[in-house]
Amino acid sequence: MIHVFTYQGENYIFDSGSGSLHLCDDRTAAYLKGEPVALTDEELADIRALKEQGLLYAPETKARPVKSHEVKALCLHICHDCNLRCKYCFADEGAYHAAREMMSFETAKAAIDFLLEKSGKRKVLEVDFFGGEPLMNLDVVKKTVYYAKGEAAKRGKRFLFTTTTNALLLDDETIRFFNEEMENVVLSLDGRKEVNDAVRQTVNGKGSFDAVIEKIKKFVRARGDKHYYVRGTFTAKNLDFSKDVLFLADQGFDSLSVEPVVTDIPDLEIREEHLPVIEREYDLLCDEYIRREKEGKGFNFFHFNVDLEGGPCLEKRVSACGAGNEYFSVVPSGDIYPCHQFAGDPKWKMGSVFGGEIDPVLRAQFAENCLFTRKKCEGCFAKFICSGGCSANNYHFKGDVNEPYEITCAMMKKRIECALRVLAARKTKEI
Amino acid sequence: MIKTIAKPQERKVTGCGECRSTCQSACKTSCTVGNQSCERVTREQKIDEQK
Repeated sequence: MIHVFTYQGENYIFDSGSGSLHLCDDRTAAYLKGEPVALTDEELADIRALKEQGLLYAPETKARPVKSHEVKALCLHICHDCNLRCKYCFADEGAYHAAREMMSFETAKAAIDFLLEKSGKRKVLEVDFFGGEPLMNLDVVKKTVYYAKGEAAKRGKRFLFTTTTNALLLDDETIRFFNEEMENVVLSLDGRKEVNDAVRQTVNGKGSFDAVIEKIKKFVRARGDKHYYVRGTFTAKNLDFSKDVLFLADQGFDSLSVEPVVTDIPDLEIREEHLPVIEREYDLLCDEYIRREKEGKGFNFFHFNVDLEGGPCLEKRVSACGAGNEYFSVVPSGDIYPCHQFAGDPKWKMGSVFGGEIDPVLRAQFAENCLFTRKKCEGCFAKFICSGGCSANNYHFKGDVNEPYEITCAMMKKRIECALRVLAARKTKEI
Repeated sequence: MIKTIAKPQERKVTGCGECRSTCQSACKTSCTVGNQSCERVTREQKIDEQK
């Protein structure tokens, strides 16, 4: 199928079957949209030629998902407590609807052993330290990293580590440790001070912006060319979130991700009536993104990347995210869940790193999840880019991991259009 | 008039499963495969460049 969209006089055609992107004139765009336009023989020949090359209306191959029972990644809930009380926190402000507790080194060690044992022939394994706030349990993070590296070396494997932190406890020693050991660091900050402080507050109800901004700047200066993201959340309170992304870029942060909130809290949740504003914001952000890149002042916005030429194979694209099959989260007790967003819900407990099998029924269910089990995705142009979206998001909003949530889909499609615009601008040497 | 901007490269590697977990990215809420790269192709390109 094709998706034709127009922005500021440019017409874009995305062919989902082949994964190719084209620009076209107004007449061709109108024709492809099904409008009553009589194209010339030459114009029709252009369309025919692309069809023959398999670049327009290309058949959508029914690739099978990657079938693997190797575990490749774990999210370690190293601390089910937090020194912030962010109003939108899906993790119940760090506690995940249970007692506030830290993961012990024994549990973390068992999780690493579990991952090594279940990883089969896979050489590269991934662990992200998540919370709550992982820096509240930094000693265990460090011990776990050193233990994992030692054990991996014995088996000819290696780990890539990530930490997600609110930066409140970030100091020089931690920055040094992160730069030595973390493949990626995700630092949470929502943007402008008033936006951040309205939702990201300390235990005493004070805004956290002033307490973290200089620490994050120091970290980014010391990070060099290693991966990091300053990662924000936007809510119904800051639907003008493009200003927050640009604010973060203006602080010198050049790797950014700002995500729509996942919550049903009435004054924060994203609702259908917000979509026109949000879509306009993505367009505004995309315009400025391209303009800054053209001027040599560009930055990386996570969702404006799309790799049509070197991206994942079709098998991966239909395989969904891998949660509950090749990726799991482990909570402080050692219990295993499909991913961090299912943690704490007894319905989704899949086992324990202290022994026994991963629940075979649940695992089989997650292993089967793929683009083709998400029937609503069938007619969507974006399906081979988003691969059916987030299982947890689907479950929390629709009660079914295989039923996409329309509001998330609308935002995803808009971001993909923006990413295609950025790609087109780069390819046509506009930037 | 239609101008092709980008089209996928022909792949020798498919379905090997070496790619990173989709959720190991920045967002942890709306992860997508489309903005990731093929690990194996990337690695093999690096090896070729070093030769």
